[in-house]
Amino acid sequence: MMDGDRITKPVSPGTKRLGEDGGPSAPDIKRPDGGNELLKRMKKVDPDQAKKYRQRSGE
Amino acid sequence: MRRILAGIETEYGLLVEGRGAEDQIDDAMALVRGYPGERLSTWDYRYESPRADLRGFQLERLAVDPVDEKFDEGRNHGAPTDVRSDQILPNGARFYNDHGHPEYATPECFTLGELARHDQYGESVVMQSARSFGEAAGKQVRIYKNNTDFHGATYGTHESYLVPRALGFAPLFAAVTPMLVVRQLLTGAGKVGSESGAWCDFQLSQRADFFTEAANAETLYRRPVFNTRDECHSDPSEWIRLHVISGDANMMPSCTMRKVGLVKLAIHLAESGEAPEWKLNDPVRAFQDVSRNMEMKARIGLEGRNWTNAYEVLESYFAAAERVLHLDDELCGIIADCRELLESLSSGDWQSVRGRIDWAAKRHLLEHYMAEEGDNWKGASMRAFDLEYHNIDLEEGLFHALVHMGDVPEFWSPGEIEECSVGNKEGTRAFVRALAVSKFRDHVHTACWRSITFKVDGKLIEVELKPDIMYPGHLKDANDVGTFMNLLGVER
Repeated sequence: MMDGDRITKPVSPGTKRLGEDGGPSAPDIKRPDGGNELLKRMKKVDPDQAKKYRQRSGE
Repeated sequence: MRRILAGIETEYGLLVEGRGAEDQIDDAMALVRGYPGERLSTWDYRYESPRADLRGFQLERLAVDPVDEKFDEGRNHGAPTDVRSDQILPNGARFYNDHGHPEYATPECFTLGELARHDQYGESVVMQSARSFGEAAGKQVRIYKNNTDFHGATYGTHESYLVPRALGFAPLFAAVTPMLVVRQLLTGAGKVGSESGAWCDFQLSQRADFFTEAANAETLYRRPVFNTRDECHSDPSEWIRLHVISGDANMMPSCTMRKVGLVKLAIHLAESGEAPEWKLNDPVRAFQDVSRNMEMKARIGLEGRNWTNAYEVLESYFAAAERVLHLDDELCGIIADCRELLESLSSGDWQSVRGRIDWAAKRHLLEHYMAEEGDNWKGASMRAFDLEYHNIDLEEGLFHALVHMGDVPEFWSPGEIEECSVGNKEGTRAFVRALAVSKFRDHVHTACWRSITFKVDGKLIEVELKPDIMYPGHLKDANDVGTFMNLLGVER
């Protein structure tokens, strides 16, 4: 259970320095066209690729 | 501020046409041994101690994955050192087979930029080997720089940091653990679905599902958020190696730099005695909750039934670092970069950071596809695309398509990455190892992270490589092994 207070210490809100140089731009939502390299590659992916992909556990 | 030596070891996923996980050790051995470039196969295992624990004891044995044990029933792959198939490369890196995964361990670096560049060069080494192996075997070979097979098997991307032993376990654990829990927000590689607990459509971390304990020395099973393995790779009376196993493999160099930079901040604060004192009541649950909430709404439970969130934890480290540390340009840049990202994420605008964080890039391409094709998160294609994001083939991988299209910035040109083939320009001990392997290989009896053993005039002479110093550039001017050893201060 976490029914206590939200803790923000030792943060001082006045020390934040956020996005002063403009930050990231708006998302690019244009539709990919026939020359879209990403779409071309995605169409070549076997939809079952991850189903077939079995690995040993590593470290 | 002390320079912190660091390295990254990446275990790559390996998919060979017509072969399965039961063949993976044989295939990884063949792949590593088939590396077409120069290398030396004389790794020195004497100082390895995977069962030693930072808390001052030795494990009797390390846990193994019961599923993997079944793969090996009735199989004998040979002596352990043969199975490892260790190669020391002319840049001082180590390339070997680790439990069926080709693993590239970068040369040790001081700066974040150089480390990320060497990490990216590792992709080129593994890809060259994969091509050679595929041609020899007549099979298609794909290599993935990720951390899961989506069936419950995970493999790691580990970070190593040189830390003074005098600091001790408790302050290091206290300072680093909260950072490991929250940094995934700015560094995670992203994953479709879950492999433990309730289903989720998408989460920030590839590894979160696999942690079961806050701290232990295991890496193959019962994995911890904070790994306590005490294998220091240097003089154990002076140093420990913080072995971080909870991070994801990153495709974006910016994420690699951020991932390492944030842990360096935590270490510096631990050493200064000024780390923020967050007392998480359950680091495993907190890690998993943060992973499943990209809007930073996950509550991180604290002792005393209070709570906080990832934003507050990260900002507390930045504020403390600015207050008490003399930060170098790289770490100042990391803090500014993180704050920009946090501002976007806290306003819900995660799409605007898709060129800077792997999970955001991956999520964006998946959501775009679903919108176009009418698929949903549980469709088989989603995990296939997730996997292919990590395909390191420049002509096939989805991440590399994003770079090709300019959606993700290219950090270094192919030529700049290739420069990493000849060594570390910062003069770390990897610079010495690289020179020894590339110029005096006939005299190198064995080598490891900690030392090089030369064979000169029939005598074996071990040279300890100091991990915290910058070796002088004029070492490369030595034309014979005797001069080289003299310049290293070796008395013969």
